[in-house]
Amino acid sequence: MLSFILRKLLASIPVYLGIVLIVMLCLRVNDPVQAYLGKSASPESIAAQREKMGLDEPFVSQYVSFIGRIVTLNFSEESWERKQPVGEILASAVVPSLAITVPALLLTTIVAIGIALLSAYMRGSITDKALMFAAVLGMSISLLVYVVMGQYFGAYWTAQQGLDVFAISGYEPVHESVPGNWIRYCLLPVIITVILTIGYDTRFYRAVMVEETGRDYIVTARAKGATKPKIMFVHMLKNAMIPIITHVMITLPFLITGSIVMETFFRIPGMGQTLITAINSKDFPLIQAFTAVFAAIFIATNILTDVLYALVDPRVRLG
Amino acid sequence: MSDHPRNRPCTGAQIRPSSSVTSRLGELSRRAALRAMALAAAGVASIGLLAGTLTATAHAGQAAASAGARKVLQMPMRTDGPKSLDPAQGSTQYDNIAVSLMFETLLTFSYANPSVLEPVLLSEMPVRSEGGKVITFKLKPGVVFHDNACFPGGKGREITADDVFYSIKRLADKRNGLKNWWLLEGVIDGLDEYKDEQNKALDSGGTFNYDAPVRGFQKVTDKEFRIVLTRPVYRFLYTLAQFQLSIVPREAVEKYGDRFSFNPVGTGPFVLDQWEPKQRLNVNRNPNYHDVRYPAREAWSREDRRRRMDRAAGQRVPFVDRMEFTMFVQDQPMWLEFQSGKLGYIEVPNDYFEQAFDKRTRGLKPEMAEKGITSHSDVLLDFIFTGFNMADPVVGGLTPEARALRQALHLAVDHGELNEVVYQGINSVYDGPIPVGVPGHPEGGKAPISWTTPDLDRAKELLAKAGWPNGRNAKGEQLTLRYSTSNSEQNRKISDLLKRQIERLGVSFNPVLLDFSTLIENVNNKKAQMFGFAWGSDYPDAENNLALFYGPNESPGSNHYNYKNPAYDALYDQILVMEPSPERTKIYEQMRDMLLADVPYIGSMGRTRFYLMSPWIVNCRPTERTWSWLKYLDVDDSKRK
Repeated sequence: MLSFILRKLLASIPVYLGIVLIVMLCLRVNDPVQAYLGKSASPESIAAQREKMGLDEPFVSQYVSFIGRIVTLNFSEESWERKQPVGEILASAVVPSLAITVPALLLTTIVAIGIALLSAYMRGSITDKALMFAAVLGMSISLLVYVVMGQYFGAYWTAQQGLDVFAISGYEPVHESVPGNWIRYCLLPVIITVILTIGYDTRFYRAVMVEETGRDYIVTARAKGATKPKIMFVHMLKNAMIPIITHVMITLPFLITGSIVMETFFRIPGMGQTLITAINSKDFPLIQAFTAVFAAIFIATNILTDVLYALVDPRVRLG
Repeated sequence: MSDHPRNRPCTGAQIRPSSSVTSRLGELSRRAALRAMALAAAGVASIGLLAGTLTATAHAGQAAASAGARKVLQMPMRTDGPKSLDPAQGSTQYDNIAVSLMFETLLTFSYANPSVLEPVLLSEMPVRSEGGKVITFKLKPGVVFHDNACFPGGKGREITADDVFYSIKRLADKRNGLKNWWLLEGVIDGLDEYKDEQNKALDSGGTFNYDAPVRGFQKVTDKEFRIVLTRPVYRFLYTLAQFQLSIVPREAVEKYGDRFSFNPVGTGPFVLDQWEPKQRLNVNRNPNYHDVRYPAREAWSREDRRRRMDRAAGQRVPFVDRMEFTMFVQDQPMWLEFQSGKLGYIEVPNDYFEQAFDKRTRGLKPEMAEKGITSHSDVLLDFIFTGFNMADPVVGGLTPEARALRQALHLAVDHGELNEVVYQGINSVYDGPIPVGVPGHPEGGKAPISWTTPDLDRAKELLAKAGWPNGRNAKGEQLTLRYSTSNSEQNRKISDLLKRQIERLGVSFNPVLLDFSTLIENVNNKKAQMFGFAWGSDYPDAENNLALFYGPNESPGSNHYNYKNPAYDALYDQILVMEPSPERTKIYEQMRDMLLADVPYIGSMGRTRFYLMSPWIVNCRPTERTWSWLKYLDVDDSKRK
């Protein structure tokens, strides 16, 4: 197993170096300093900023230096716009994103698996059709509709009725928040994320379950006299976990990056909003660090997925 | 990163199990359905329990806040808020709002009458001598900077004349971006040379010497100083009221360097508590704030007194202990937060105008009034226009034909329709470049020469007189116009409307939507034939707008029209050194009418901002001419829900 992990890690190094190279080249197609300071900036101020950022050095030297900073996890470079180390900015933005995405993922996964099991076992029935109809309907409605309706009916209207459960928008860090308030800020975005994603997941998990119901081991279990709940919750769910884990693992990097629309509409200072404001304000160091970190997380998650696969199915290691 | 991170196509949805399994599993369905129902019921009960807990928590929080008896005012900031809290680097309205909380200028516009200047950090209004070229200032005693670690013992010290000179010199330092240098360029004796010398020293590896003297800065004592101008321009006093010229302590700038913006130290009524860019800005009352009183009763107009704006007359400010600003990029959350009574006031977003006001009467809707919400409208010092490049061979020049062409185009434009379609009819339409509420603005918006009422027949006559009958010249070539404007949804609407209106004359009108920097570049290089712009006056004096047509200011200066009329320029030189007087207003009117005859632009319109105030906010009458009025606001917590 160790050699398998090492092999995967070594194989991912050139991939990561290539990604960083492409990102750095793309970010330098148009002069980032000129873009940030504007067309009316004096040549002296542009030169000074370039020097400060090390952008006056040869590209190879910039590349090596940036890789060095990534390896040593040194993100002390200052954001042009916020005058804070980019590492600090990213670290402070991760928690709000996770506060929404992690509960949403857990809830979605648990509920979607439950519905998928029910739907698969009642396949072809009205319940199954109604559940699948609801899933498709949930997927078909735009996120913006959920946000606008959620804020109006979920937060504003319910508060008018005396049920002040959801905040209309905003976020308070846990350590600064009145107990319970933090949950109020997170609740509506979490629910909307669940509603938005549950349709996709339910359909996917149902398909997995349906596929499992045709397997030989189900027939064998039945022949041995296993009870129906045992077939359903023990045998079938256990075997369906491989695609479920894969599906969940693939989404992990996106938990950290958050959602631009959700964070913008709910004023959550997460990674999505941080990235979009960095792009809008042409904050070159922040954009560069964000993309490098995201690429690293993505690759790491892929390796982790492969490792989990290998653990579950030894044939993967041989491949 | 993605907005639908988990949005992937499902796979294998059509795979079917064997029929035997299906039939056997069918037996399970009823029991499973019952279990699911039980689970759902438990879920609903849990959510109900959570809701109850959270509601109780929220109410407990509110009760705790009122029990603490601290006056806290919650306010919105549209868009993502200030970019910098350093006055020398600020430029936007949001920078202005934030800076005005923590810093102060020597002079400011009065809250009771925003057209009038009044001293803030001065003990009296400055005295002009030597024909207005020398201005003597006396600093108010007892004004101290915020307590901060940059001072010995952390105790804020009194401001001095040196702080004023230092703060002005910062605008000449290129390390601050020079974006506000235009305020001072060519105004103070010796400051331009100082700027060039010090920045040159920086370029050659030296330092920017803030101790180097400037001829026009004369210190008499720590509390008295004189500023000598290059010429006696009256507007310099307005310049001193601009937030970029707020007074800062040198110790703080030197201690915090680049991070001064995150550690603002001024003399203002509030001290920064927390600034999370794009999210929130919280300030606490400055316990050492100098003695500033709410405007006297007689300073308020009758209308304001009727609205009880004078109720706190003579009382010491600020009234609130804390102000909390929340940034809203999206309008809906801001609107709903206000409707929930959580924000003191809001500027009404265009999309919500008809929810708050009757479109026809512009009166507050009864359902709003029933909630105790009040409203206020503020006419902005706006000049929205479509400019002509007077250096352009087709539309430019001062020949009778060129004038007739521009007049014809002006008469083809229906500003009433433009106002209705694009601005929901809430703008004011007027003749001339002088905005509403400023001396020189024509009465009722109509000047003796007026173009704001469209007249297609007369426009066609004038077009023929210009040598373009039915939009074509003697060779049969169609008159083709190119109109440049910045790319936005609103400008797209305006362009489409102008095209439809102007092409009724038989000419071809071609709008080009550009990004703002390209538009500016084209205008500065005199490449734009016609262009859509707006000008917000820096101060309530027509001189500010009339300067836009002063010959020496041609592009890349502020005279984007490249209008050159020696008679006009002579009048501008005359008014520049005049103090406000009926004679000066007369000349303003004369200059306005000269522009109306020559038509270097099609216009004008000015926006009105509509505000709604919660029942619990007190002393609130928003104006955008200054933001130093925030310190006068108060809250009445007994009126909160």
